[in-house]
Amino acid sequence: MPRSQALRKASSWLGLAPFLCFAIAFMILPAFSILAGSFMDGSGVFTLANFAHLAKPTILSSYRVTIELSAVTAAIGTVLGALVSYAVVAGGLPKALRSFTVTFAGVASNFAGVPLAFAFIATLGRMGLVTALAKTILEVDLYGSGFNLYSFWGLSLTYVYFQMPLMILTIEPAIVGLRREWREASESLGASSGTFWLRVGLPILMPSLLAAFILLFGNAFGAYATAYALTGGMLNIVPILIGAQIRGDVLHDPNLGYALALGMVVVMLVAIFLYLRLQKLASRWQK
Amino acid sequence: MRRADKIRESFSWLWFGLGMIYFFLPLLATFLFSLKGRKGILSFAAYGNVLADPQFLKTFLFSLEMAAFTIIVGLVLIVPTAIWIHLKLPKAKGLMEALSLMPFVIPPIVLAFGLIKTYSKPPFVLVSSPALLVAGYVVISFPFMYRTVDAGLRAIDLPLLTEAAQSLGARWTTVLFRVALPGLRPSILSAVFLCFATVIGELTLAVILAWPAFGPYMALVGRDLAYEPAALSIMSFALTWGSIGLMQFISSRGPARRLRRPKT
Amino acid sequence: MKRALLLIATALVAVSVLSAQNAATSTKDLSALIAAAKKEGQLTVIALPHDWVNYGEMIQKFSDKYGIKVNELNPDGSSGEEIEAIKANKDNKGPQAPDVIDVGLSFGPSAQAEGLLAPYKVQTWSTIPADIKDKDGYWYGDYYGALAFEVNADLVKNPPKDWADLLKPEYKGKVALAGDPRTANQAIMTIVSASLANGGSLKDMEAGLKFFDKLNKAGNFVPLIAVPGTVASGETPVTVRWDYNALSNRDKSAGNPNISVIIPASGVVAGVYVQAISAYAPNPNAARLWMEFLYSDEGQIIWLKGYGHPARFNDLAKRKVIPADVEAKLPPASSYAKAVFPSLSDQDSEKAAIADGWDKVVGIEIQKK
Repeated sequence: MPRSQALRKASSWLGLAPFLCFAIAFMILPAFSILAGSFMDGSGVFTLANFAHLAKPTILSSYRVTIELSAVTAAIGTVLGALVSYAVVAGGLPKALRSFTVTFAGVASNFAGVPLAFAFIATLGRMGLVTALAKTILEVDLYGSGFNLYSFWGLSLTYVYFQMPLMILTIEPAIVGLRREWREASESLGASSGTFWLRVGLPILMPSLLAAFILLFGNAFGAYATAYALTGGMLNIVPILIGAQIRGDVLHDPNLGYALALGMVVVMLVAIFLYLRLQKLASRWQK
Repeated sequence: MRRADKIRESFSWLWFGLGMIYFFLPLLATFLFSLKGRKGILSFAAYGNVLADPQFLKTFLFSLEMAAFTIIVGLVLIVPTAIWIHLKLPKAKGLMEALSLMPFVIPPIVLAFGLIKTYSKPPFVLVSSPALLVAGYVVISFPFMYRTVDAGLRAIDLPLLTEAAQSLGARWTTVLFRVALPGLRPSILSAVFLCFATVIGELTLAVILAWPAFGPYMALVGRDLAYEPAALSIMSFALTWGSIGLMQFISSRGPARRLRRPKT
Repeated sequence: MKRALLLIATALVAVSVLSAQNAATSTKDLSALIAAAKKEGQLTVIALPHDWVNYGEMIQKFSDKYGIKVNELNPDGSSGEEIEAIKANKDNKGPQAPDVIDVGLSFGPSAQAEGLLAPYKVQTWSTIPADIKDKDGYWYGDYYGALAFEVNADLVKNPPKDWADLLKPEYKGKVALAGDPRTANQAIMTIVSASLANGGSLKDMEAGLKFFDKLNKAGNFVPLIAVPGTVASGETPVTVRWDYNALSNRDKSAGNPNISVIIPASGVVAGVYVQAISAYAPNPNAARLWMEFLYSDEGQIIWLKGYGHPARFNDLAKRKVIPADVEAKLPPASSYAKAVFPSLSDQDSEKAAIADGWDKVVGIEIQKK
């Protein structure tokens, strides 16, 4: 009967109610009460000028760089994190290492911002530990040969420090679920390791890999403190631009800052949409 | 089969080893720098200075407390919701994905000012209560908590297990507490760890909402002093790792799991 | 004749009675103010690090003298954040709402225009120079300093004495700004200084931007924000900051490392900060009492101890009330002889030019790698 079905449908949405109420009350409402300022100018008059500013070449380029940075570090973090996670969960290493890695990953995933930037400066900066060791032991002049921590790739290297652990933690359950029996079965059927991964392993892991990728992407997309501390605002990324407008002493056009933030929300929604499409494809591959 | 295992093992050691080098070198460099608190010799002077500051322990304990509340509220809010969605409402997955990733793109300062603005007028004057800070923390932990729990749910095929349990006569509470939660233990633990680390290090919300948390304390030390911030970095890393390790230890000594996972 | 004398006498009596009344009302107001402030019981300040012009001592002395608790918000905050904090806390009477702010000069008028400030003229109002205060008392200058080179003397044996020195090859990979020019006032003023030293003017920043471009191309510029940690580690051993910050860092380091503070021989830029009371202050009387304390001789000398030149410096010097030991610790007055104070309109055009030009000049270069 349609009525009871409709009721059942409605009641299943009710289960979502506590979370939705919380999200609306403490995330959506507060955030948008401030972001509404993107539609106003300094004196509170409605305007779309802030959004027109978003089309400026420097701002468009900053969105591009931010997306690039997030995608690159998410990709690197996904691959390396999956490898390390697999190594400690299913790779035949002692059990204690798994617990060690998981707890370490918990801490490292949030070791970001100024402490992380400083740690990398102390390691790979001009006066850094590795730089000095390379010079004395390997007689390699890192900075002389073009390496520079204070660049896009230096920042990416630093970002991986918190991206990889996040991946390790997120992909762990999926790897646990990748049963040993399947691997043994595929080997007994004569499949090589490569075939196993291509036909069985990766398709099963793909949805989780994608889900972890988008999480890492979002994580890097909104990251501010590490980039600011390491590149001092030389690198043109959107969170730093937002910071410059909202908390800066120089430009201080908060309304433009809010418009930039709204722009980030839109980019994220597009990314999520693409991700959901990819998930659909991945589930078809699984079949 | 043995050979394949051996190859896999050596690759595992390789990746693990490389990973450890990458993670520990920066920590080593920070540690070495922190030992320069006194000129010319290596000493723990910087550590002494930090420990002598009463604010260090005070702010760490405050953040510890806030982390505990955030974890509880977060788990109570997210775990049942995630389970519900997997079982009853798969259509809402997209919505949940979007909502859970939103906190990444809302600048923390916008969230902080928004919370103040929304909750400083009657009827909901929450501004002076730490509950508002906890609410903010739960929001920024959303992405991590939801993702790990979701990953766990994907791996254990809950609908099948629920059906099986129900066909054996189990009630909803049994299904929840004896089937779902035990299976989700690793994911829930990961969620707890991530949430804990996030709250301990969080800076902007605590500063704007004017609470004496650990993050602002670290930032304050960092702006004025040279060697103490490095010492503080190492200490906070160690303390956080220790706390997480403790949680891991306690949880593995807890009541035996009802659902035994096949050994991988 | 008699009538004229009578008129003059009456006038004199009237004037003396009036001024006696004024004097009486001023001191009477202060004790009334103190009582009202004590009743409020607390004061919320924002963005006042303890080692920034000795605010640590200022806050402590104020709190001890009047028994008023001081809430310190966001010590690391920028002027922009202080303004945003007032706006966000308009309806909030709790401790997250700042009562008083200390912001860069250009933020005074803009905050006033947005209706965020409340006017108040302190007792010592007349001795504050007219060009650093708003005539109605909405905001007034509190202290100023000049930009100086802060050098890690242990690692840089030959500290630079002037802007041109920074381009020398011995400083390769050693020079950094203490902030992001798109965000921090200190960084903007640094570029203004460089501009003045290289033939530019207060309204023309091209010379300054070109200087940093040259510095970057020579490999001397490090695109990192210098903090005490990076100065000590040698990653950014040469940086440019307000002299009061550099001197206070020197004192705090206590030789580990040795820090030299040098005011450049040319291109000396001085910057003023201004105090103001928030129009939405939850504790307005405490706020006013705070202002009175800051602008009293006692308060001004506390700032002087922190190496900041207080607004009433000339008045204090004239009346010879500056303690000798405090005066001895200051850099020689001759270093400040050539100091230039950018006006409000100067600052606006400077900010716009640098914010636009910086990316083009320096930013893209770094990004290429």
